[in-house]
Amino acid sequence: MDYVILSITLLAIGFYGLLTKHSLLKILISIELIAIAASMNFVLLASSLNKNLGEVFLILAFTTDTCLTAVIFALLIIASKRYGTCDIRKLAKLEKSGEEGEDE
Amino acid sequence: MILEVVAAGLVISACLAIYLEEAIYSVVSLACTVILISLLYAVNGTVYVAVFQFAIGLGTLAVFFLSSEMLSEKLKKEKSTRNTLLIVALGTFMSFPAIFLSLPTIQTNISIDSSFVQALWNLRALDIVLQGLVMLTVALGIAIVLYERKRGES
Repeated sequence: MDYVILSITLLAIGFYGLLTKHSLLKILISIELIAIAASMNFVLLASSLNKNLGEVFLILAFTTDTCLTAVIFALLIIASKRYGTCDIRKLAKLEKSGEEGEDE
Repeated sequence: MILEVVAAGLVISACLAIYLEEAIYSVVSLACTVILISLLYAVNGTVYVAVFQFAIGLGTLAVFFLSSEMLSEKLKKEKSTRNTLLIVALGTFMSFPAIFLSLPTIQTNISIDSSFVQALWNLRALDIVLQGLVMLTVALGIAIVLYERKRGES
């Protein structure tokens, strides 16, 4: 079994979700999948070479991954509370209409 | 055999996490992905990473679950079981290249190797910087929430 191909498959699924879905929650799930694909590549290549450094780097990379999730969560909650929706198309429309209202 | 089943399950659950419209089901599929990837790590002998991935992944997913329950809108139209089964079949098909194909391996002469504990100790500076980043993000998040609350009150 080849882990690089498995990682590429997961990365492709994540990118597909990122490009086609409009809900902020789905975008967050897509980003999680991309992060999982990247970390899997890192760990399994390092483990196949019998290097422990890859595992350590991954544990450090979890930290940044958690930060990323926290920031997107904050965006999700604020967008949902302020505008009542998590759809990025509706949010873009609301933003545009708000700007036009300010101009008038 | 177990690795192949886990790989197929990983791709199928990832496909379902993206495809399913209902946020709760989507989060449950992502939880399956996290559990399967932890299992894959454990089977490959990287037990520390498996434990960390499992703990952090499920912690994040608990928050995902609660927020998706709170924030998502209920769907009027449900997707048919036939389409879901089609996605499962597609996921199984997509996992075939990973199971049956293999890329040529590159031989390297990199001689960086040390024990897990030694490597973690050597990288402690980076660890501290990243912990600082986490603290900064948490502080930023709390500041944003408090600012929004104050703005809502006034």
